[in-house]
Amino acid sequence: MDLARLGPLAIAAAGLAALTGALAAPAAKPSRWWAPGEGRVFPAQLDYENETGTLRTLLVGGPMKTRGHPFFAPIGPNGRACVTCHQPADSMSLSGETARERWDATGGRDPLFAAGDGSNCPTLPQAQRASHSLLIDHGLIRIQRPWPPKDLQGKAITPDFTIETVRDPWGCNSGAQFGPTAARPNISVYRRPRPISNLKYLLAVGFAYDPKQGMPLPLDPESGRPMSGNLMADGRAGTLNAQMRDAASTHLEFLKNMSARDMARIVDFESRLFSAQIADRKGGALDAGGAEGGPEKLARSEPGNLGSQGPAPVWSEYAAWEKPDPSLSAEQRAFRQSVARGARIFREKMFLISDSAGINSPIGFGNPVRNSCVFCHNMTQMGNDVAPGQVDLGTTTQPFADPAPHLPLFRITCTGAPHPHYGRVIYTSDPGYALTTGRCADVGKITLQSMRGLAARAPYFSNGSAKDLRGVVDYYDRRYRIGYTEQEKQDLVNLMSAL
Amino acid sequence: MRRLLLVLLATLPVSAAGADTAETVRFITCPIYRDTDAGKKSGCWLADDRASGRRFDVSRAPSKPDWNFEILVEGRVAAETRSNCGGEVLEPVRTSVLPTPCPRHMLPAEGFAGNRFALPVRNVRPLSEKRTPPAPPFADKTFHLVFDFDKAFVVYQLDDYLLDQAITWIRGVDPKRVIVTGWAATDPAEVSGRAIAEDPAIARTRAELVGEALRRLGVAADKIELRWKTAAQPVAADGADGLAEPSRRRADIEVEL
Repeated sequence: MDLARLGPLAIAAAGLAALTGALAAPAAKPSRWWAPGEGRVFPAQLDYENETGTLRTLLVGGPMKTRGHPFFAPIGPNGRACVTCHQPADSMSLSGETARERWDATGGRDPLFAAGDGSNCPTLPQAQRASHSLLIDHGLIRIQRPWPPKDLQGKAITPDFTIETVRDPWGCNSGAQFGPTAARPNISVYRRPRPISNLKYLLAVGFAYDPKQGMPLPLDPESGRPMSGNLMADGRAGTLNAQMRDAASTHLEFLKNMSARDMARIVDFESRLFSAQIADRKGGALDAGGAEGGPEKLARSEPGNLGSQGPAPVWSEYAAWEKPDPSLSAEQRAFRQSVARGARIFREKMFLISDSAGINSPIGFGNPVRNSCVFCHNMTQMGNDVAPGQVDLGTTTQPFADPAPHLPLFRITCTGAPHPHYGRVIYTSDPGYALTTGRCADVGKITLQSMRGLAARAPYFSNGSAKDLRGVVDYYDRRYRIGYTEQEKQDLVNLMSAL
Repeated sequence: MRRLLLVLLATLPVSAAGADTAETVRFITCPIYRDTDAGKKSGCWLADDRASGRRFDVSRAPSKPDWNFEILVEGRVAAETRSNCGGEVLEPVRTSVLPTPCPRHMLPAEGFAGNRFALPVRNVRPLSEKRTPPAPPFADKTFHLVFDFDKAFVVYQLDDYLLDQAITWIRGVDPKRVIVTGWAATDPAEVSGRAIAEDPAIARTRAELVGEALRRLGVAADKIELRWKTAAQPVAADGADGLAEPSRRRADIEVEL
């Protein structure tokens, strides 16, 4: 039983039971929520239930004490640690449901709801739920970017577009302190925390070239090595060290530099984490019947293989389930076959991809181009992009984005060449990669996400605009007029729930 | 000098025979997408030359059209007459997206099968595959990258492959100096009733971009010298496949030992 999911009353009842219970009673099951500094041991294998089944996280190399570990210790003044937004039960991300539970369980006193980015804007009355609605209702954290941006060497970039705030529901994109007209201009966008499991796949460099930028991969100024570009939604940090510094100074409000030793300990921990669904409520074990679901295969496989050229097609983990197993129950058999079909649909159902920067321009594939989901989600075993993944699917940008009155809206005006698909003026709730590059052609581009552990970390897309997996499929179906049948949609949902 | 270069072009080993006899075309038009479905990337690109009324199949261009914009078509009419798309096949062919808007136009398959995807010859390989190092004797050598009209984008499955060839060679010879010269084809030409010429500034952009690319691939910054020039003339560039006009839009990588 997960006490945190049952709210404050259950926690109080459990506390009373603990006080009055017999000494011989078994130890209470640890809370689903990992609080900063609590000092639990992180086991070698950790399972958590979610809506469709069980997520398993492996810590390769064995259990690890977390007391004093910089990933788990609250190093800044707001009481947060890395683990606050990278929870094991949520595939090392943070689901919207968990944020809601924490609000209900603590009345908003959890460090998760720190004013800086756990509220819609620090200027709002912090005790009110409404001031944290983006986190509680949409799973979104505030990300404040300086404007104009600087490159990896810290050199100022001259943007080729201007940015104005059209709609500012929370006051964090207008005024003297926040927004593009502030004394120190900045732009606040709202995004989902990204999972930090399976990092070897996100850091893998399969090719030396980024075909979307038409250049060899950028180099890490510290190591001189090429960076994968798959870490952050807007590509602002290409290495774990850079991401840690960024997160420590913003989300943790840590005013000093993290020590090299602490960063190395965090990298070591994160690099040993592998998460994936291991069981489904209908289909049973995801590594049974010849299937290769679950995190063990991820831990032992080589990353960075292109599905079309690598050792195995994307999601061929479930190829064995294409043949029905008569020994299974009807429900189990139906689910497994649906997952296998979903994998084929993912790879083989072709549709016209149009007007999406990073795909249809400037790369040369043409606009439109006929391809499938795997065109972009092309890394075997992970479904992220072997080539760095900044593409514009339209999830944040009009006219393709779903209505989002809860989010700010910006008007971008390209001052050089117009955007290849939107023209000179663009309306977006998140300029994405353009906040890093300063290029109009990059407006709306977001780094593709890993697809493992999806069932544990709704909602989806960088701005949480799809509340569930069906919402993801429906968005693509609308955006690209794919025309999925109801069965195909369900097969894709079942596949994604089993990753 | 220009005549000498054209003679050089005619002596290209692969394309020379075709270049001598086959018809080349150069025109501007709005592209047409034919929605054939023979699997991934199987849709067809067609281009009508308004002056002649002929329809060409330009699907084999490494950098394909955008149905929202005009394209500059440059190609050679292929010997093969059968098109899976409907139109005279151009091979080799280049299509450059121009800034002028076009109404989108999509044709149904109408019985045309389209082309099944095949991995292009100039397909850059993953890092996991070992490159063959150059064999001595070594001498100074020049590599060329070619670009679309008025663009400085390293074309996927063309320029990245050529760049990979260049850097593999550079790594094997440890040069004294690498001179990168960006060129712009600034001499005006009349195409489809309008005068076109590249922006002179694109020469510098090409040089800087290729210089940065070489730096990222490990060439020491102090070994790279950048130059940019206009009034580019044709050269025998592998990436241009014997097409004279695309060969003028290039960056040269001269490796000095």
